Amino acid sequence: MITEDITNKKVLSKGNYAIAKASILAGCDCYFGYPITPQSEIGEYMSGKMQELGRAYVSAESELAAISMTLGACSTGVKAMTSSSSCAVALMQETLSYATADELPLVLISVMRGGPGLGNIYPSQGDYFQATKGGGNGDYKLIVLAPSNVQECVDLTYKAFHLAHKYRNPTVLLADGLLGQMMEPVEFKPYPYAEIDNSDWALTGAKNRKSRVIRSYAPLADNQCKFVEKLFEKYKTIEENETEWEEMGTEDADIILVSFGSTSRNVKTAMKLCREKGLKVGFFRPITLFPFPNKRLNELASKVKKFITVEVNMGQMINDVKLAVNGKASVELIHKAVGAPPSPEEIQSQVEELI
Amino acid sequence: MEKNFIIAGFGGQGVLLAGEVLATAFMLANKNVTWYPSYGAEMRGGTVNCEIVASDEEVSAVNKHDTDFIVALNQASFDKFLSKIKKGGYMIANSTLAKEIKTRADINYVFAPITKLAEELGNVKMANILALGVLAKASKAISLEQLSEALDSVLPAHRKNLLPLNLKALKIGYEYDLLPV
Repeated sequence: MITEDITNKKVLSKGNYAIAKASILAGCDCYFGYPITPQSEIGEYMSGKMQELGRAYVSAESELAAISMTLGACSTGVKAMTSSSSCAVALMQETLSYATADELPLVLISVMRGGPGLGNIYPSQGDYFQATKGGGNGDYKLIVLAPSNVQECVDLTYKAFHLAHKYRNPTVLLADGLLGQMMEPVEFKPYPYAEIDNSDWALTGAKNRKSRVIRSYAPLADNQCKFVEKLFEKYKTIEENETEWEEMGTEDADIILVSFGSTSRNVKTAMKLCREKGLKVGFFRPITLFPFPNKRLNELASKVKKFITVEVNMGQMINDVKLAVNGKASVELIHKAVGAPPSPEEIQSQVEELI
Repeated sequence: MEKNFIIAGFGGQGVLLAGEVLATAFMLANKNVTWYPSYGAEMRGGTVNCEIVASDEEVSAVNKHDTDFIVALNQASFDKFLSKIKKGGYMIANSTLAKEIKTRADINYVFAPITKLAEELGNVKMANILALGVLAKASKAISLEQLSEALDSVLPAHRKNLLPLNLKALKIGYEYDLLPV
């Protein structure tokens, strides 16, 4: 039992340290990682704390090794995680596909930086597609949670461990360099979720029971078909139960600004600036990127004229908003390729241009 | 009410730590606060800065285009951030390392020989904390008590022996006679 980080008062914490501490409080037994800016503080913190607590920390020889070790650890039923960033998360895609097929509760912290390629270390939201659509093979979904402040870095890290184990599905916490590097007051409450029994599937050594095999290989065509269909039934359950979003000023809005993660902070302020000018603008923030709040956006589309997505990429989430809206309202984009999000004032003036 | 601050200087002058102390003081004063560092290919001797935004409501944004208070610990920071200060805002400059030139009539200038005062105290490394004292006095945005409490909370256990000297630096900065500007 760790108590030292649990406190009823707020402490000032960097996003990356908040994620690391929350992972430990969530009961993470094993961390495997390979350093990359802007998330290296996660591995740094884990390297000291995990050993102190008698848990496993491995500085892997590569990102491929790190996530493969995580997959291996997860198969034994323990809580295991890795963390990385953009171009290095790209290297992990194969194992993410395998982990969905193996139905393993792998937790990946993805702290986005500029891309494509090596890019740069500044914030970005260019990996929305990477996280929600994936680069691994086959039909699969990752659960994706997008924090917008340091407190949510804690709360959604807890949730990532919970959902990964509840649904036996890899889960991504999608943060970015801005959230990873900033400090904000934060409260570390105890892990709020009940532990999930995994004694019916974990590979714990076949003593006094039949042996078990976890694999992502179905040589007979029919088996694979049934398996993928079953996976998608699970995804449907996740959509029904776990979709989460924040909305503000949507009741009477003509226009709704849609944004996720750190960018949504500036978008919320821009929405307030628009309101001060008498424009009926609302704010919508998907917190779960998968499951995406399709149903709610579609409901809102019956009442509003226009959605504007605001993203720090060339326009990725806009595709999901268009699918959700399904032609009921127009969908436009305000964006910037890489870097800190556009300022509230810039967003506001671009909104006025688009009206 | 929202105020934002940039603390800037050479790498090694402790501007990130000074920012952390300031942000902690706002947190202890029950404000919402965000601290955001310049990060990139930074190195010792290069320039470094951090931005602190403190608000009674949700923090509106970081990376703001303009700022209420700049603390410039060297000439390069003075030059870089002068144009970012809001009308009526403050340039709080270390006159040991920055020239006392007032090119803008629409802002307030506070010049204090921060490095020299820290040297007189016996440790030039105290310049960052001493600057916070000057900032507290000039800005009236945070009290000496809240900054002292924040220092106590930021210093790790194995550095607590440095607390008295830091508190002294803070006080010297706060009590420095600000010339009419």
